[in-house]
Amino acid sequence: MAALVGVLVSLPALAGLLPASDASVSAPDLRAAVLASDTVGFSGFAESAGGLDLPVTDQLTSVADLFSDRTRMRVWWRGPIDHRVDVISAGGETGVHRDLMGSWAWEYERATATRTLNSALALPRPPDLLPSTLGRRLLSEATVAEVSRIGALRVAGRDALGLRLTPTEPASSVGRVDIWVDADTGLPLKVEVFGKGAALPALETRFLDFDPSAPDPSTTAFVAPPAAAIRGAPVTDVALEAGRRIRPVPLPPELAGLPRRVLTGVPPGIGLFGRGVTLLAVVPLPSRLAAGLRDALVQSPDAVVDEAGVRVSAGPVALMLLDPPGHGPYVLTGTVTLDALADAAAQLPELGGTP
Amino acid sequence: MIAVELRKLFRRPRTWATIAVLNALPVLVAVLLVLTDLAPRPGEGPPFLSAVLRNGALYPLAALAIVLPLFLPIAVAVVAGDSIAGEASAGTLRYLLARPAGRTRLLVAKLIAVLAFVLVTVLIVAGVGYVLGTTLFDAQPVTGTSVSGTSLTPADLGGRTLMAIGYVAVSMLGVAAFALFFSTLTDSPLGATMGALAVLVASSLLFTLDAASPIAPYLPTRYWLSFVDFFRDPIHWRDITRGIALQGVYVGVLLAAAWANFTTKDITS
Amino acid sequence: MSGVIATRGLVKRYGRLSAVDGIDLDVRAGDVYGFLGANGSGKTTTVRMLLGLVLPTSGEIDLLGARMPRAGRRVLPRVGALIEGPAHYGHLSGRENLALLDASGPGARRRTRRRRIDEVLEQVGLGGVGRRPVKAYSLGMRQRLGLAGALLRRPELLVLDEPTNGLDPQGISEVRELLLDLHRTGTTVFLSSHLLAEVEQLCSRVGVLDRGRLVLQEQLATLTAPTGATVVHTPTPDRVRAALDGRVTSMDGERVVVRGEDPAEVNALLVGAGIPVTGLALQRPTLEEVVLAATGTSTDRVESR
Repeated sequence: MAALVGVLVSLPALAGLLPASDASVSAPDLRAAVLASDTVGFSGFAESAGGLDLPVTDQLTSVADLFSDRTRMRVWWRGPIDHRVDVISAGGETGVHRDLMGSWAWEYERATATRTLNSALALPRPPDLLPSTLGRRLLSEATVAEVSRIGALRVAGRDALGLRLTPTEPASSVGRVDIWVDADTGLPLKVEVFGKGAALPALETRFLDFDPSAPDPSTTAFVAPPAAAIRGAPVTDVALEAGRRIRPVPLPPELAGLPRRVLTGVPPGIGLFGRGVTLLAVVPLPSRLAAGLRDALVQSPDAVVDEAGVRVSAGPVALMLLDPPGHGPYVLTGTVTLDALADAAAQLPELGGTP
Repeated sequence: MIAVELRKLFRRPRTWATIAVLNALPVLVAVLLVLTDLAPRPGEGPPFLSAVLRNGALYPLAALAIVLPLFLPIAVAVVAGDSIAGEASAGTLRYLLARPAGRTRLLVAKLIAVLAFVLVTVLIVAGVGYVLGTTLFDAQPVTGTSVSGTSLTPADLGGRTLMAIGYVAVSMLGVAAFALFFSTLTDSPLGATMGALAVLVASSLLFTLDAASPIAPYLPTRYWLSFVDFFRDPIHWRDITRGIALQGVYVGVLLAAAWANFTTKDITS
Repeated sequence: MSGVIATRGLVKRYGRLSAVDGIDLDVRAGDVYGFLGANGSGKTTTVRMLLGLVLPTSGEIDLLGARMPRAGRRVLPRVGALIEGPAHYGHLSGRENLALLDASGPGARRRTRRRRIDEVLEQVGLGGVGRRPVKAYSLGMRQRLGLAGALLRRPELLVLDEPTNGLDPQGISEVRELLLDLHRTGTTVFLSSHLLAEVEQLCSRVGVLDRGRLVLQEQLATLTAPTGATVVHTPTPDRVRAALDGRVTSMDGERVVVRGEDPAEVNALLVGAGIPVTGLALQRPTLEEVVLAATGTSTDRVESR
């Protein structure tokens, strides 16, 4: 009897131990395959788990939850502008249906369908945590020197080839990113992001079920149900709103050794610096949001408070609040070290940073 | 033998009292919902409850969701825990076995009686829920909305509801197997019931604990709420099939243990 | 068929404690077998082993010629049992209780069930009890209902554990008559009891259990056979001793035991000597004396060491 129970309990674990067959693909080739995979149709079920406890306030809890909770997603993917990702919870579901012009977000428990039009900069949403989407994004700007091959793994019953990204920027807080790529389709099936020196991933996302055949268009399409409340033109992302309203502070072409990126459609008040997985954003905030954020930061036990300002890091994500007189509050955040944040603040005397 | 056990179970006033108490909670919730018109906030409260205000035809599911975490397992544990231990404590077990009823036959008959109880109970809860939903709330029998936001035909909605009811019944089999197993260990029906409930409470607690995540897929309560997955579109089978398989393993192992114990046990009650 | 119940070296151990320690029961067809023993002597355990409820540690049991507990399904339908008091479903009527019990096992015809239930209820004196639930029964009524359950299939063997428990004297007498009636129609009765009087009045054969061992198993008539002495009751015991010097074995008040198997001869001698005799009888040991001689101290007793 005990033996039978033992066998039954260990079956799933044994199935996971089946050796994955590796292939001798070079790291740059594998990266190229990943970047070309966004038109591959597939469907599946993925789960992401984050250990990032960002000290943020009410308006940003959805983002914070995304990085600290376990998110379970069903995905049907026909292409970059035709896919559907349902985040499922025990008693409900939030689905994002992407189409050419934008996306529909369906919230079951509120029975609302929200239409969002495409924009250049948006807060992270659950679909961004899909292994395939996240893996592509993280690899998009990686250089040949940064990628290397690691051992293959069985993920969702598929052979997945290992690829490691080790950022070379000194300012980066990301130690490494491990990505396992489906040998047949080039789709990332599992992604692990490690902070510098961390033994456990700060963020892990992987497919549990994966079916490499394109879903039916009717599955990804969205028709608002008759009983639903429909909201168009939703509240624009808070940061974008503030970026337009506040008188922009001129930002330097380089911060903490990271070059400024050129973004179209983004107000000049918002600056994004860096490359690949090492990014630093300088974003103006509405005052009410900043006040709450400051309280949260000060109360955070991990916060570093010195003459440079208040800053905190959660895993590889660091955050710093600056409140220069006459400009309105700014937040500096990104996947950079706390020291890099201090350096960046020092380069922004107009924002109250002390050089 | 099976007919005898069914007669015993359903001629017993306590069986119907249990079912009545079980239905009291959904009735109370329905009345409060109608009076206050306050839906639970998203992410809180039992699944489907917020949707009931929009479509009363979903109340059978909300009623099941209300009783699923606690009331239903308690009722099942009470009945299954009583099955052998109750006969033992009443002294009738020795007469049944000297009759002779055959220990394996008795165990099988008890299990089937418990199954019948689970099914009847779940159907009554759903039935009462349907009556409540269609009389107290606005019912829209024409179309239903899936959790994923697609429209369902009444036939589709009905089919999925039946499948969900079946799934809830299967989920309760694990509870029944635990209680039946404990029932063969002790002569105290209360002890057997409490034993099964202790397992469920422990399981629910461990499920919320991150440290227990390696064993989470094996917890008996792990996939209970997956009946919601029948109402996603397309149906999300992953957890449903796992839930059924898990209950199957629990039921198989526990019944084997119950059988091994009961057929070699000295009846001294 | 002679051996209705036959056990060989029957042992039941609970851990290091031997509840039943190697007993060889021999109950023959037509016996009314009295199974005597103090509380805790292993009677109940033995009865439960006979019926397949408790599994023996070692030893063999033949019940109606078949090996127990293996043949239980074949043999037990021919056995009626009352084990340690009656037990029923309190919310159901007596009639329904009997019907459920009857339907719970093999060897009972469904078509005759109603009639058989009516008959046994009549037999145990519950014919007019109606639809009252059993929880409203008195202890005596429950005992009768338990007996009715045992009789339901006209068993060849009745195994009864304390069947008169809870009955009033009238009821005890009724049950005794009933058992004797059944015995006359060929039923073998195995009666487990701690009441010596009950066994003495009913039984033809006696087994005595003491601390798990069968210390005595014999026909009652043999056990209580005359001892070869005569008991004389007289107001003048001293004169008896004088007249029958040497034959008096014991004196206790007005009771004098005299050697001699013929009371008439003793009487003639005493009357001849002009001694008044108020009573005269052959000496027979009582069952109590036999049992006490065979067993030691009470099992309830805890001696200081």
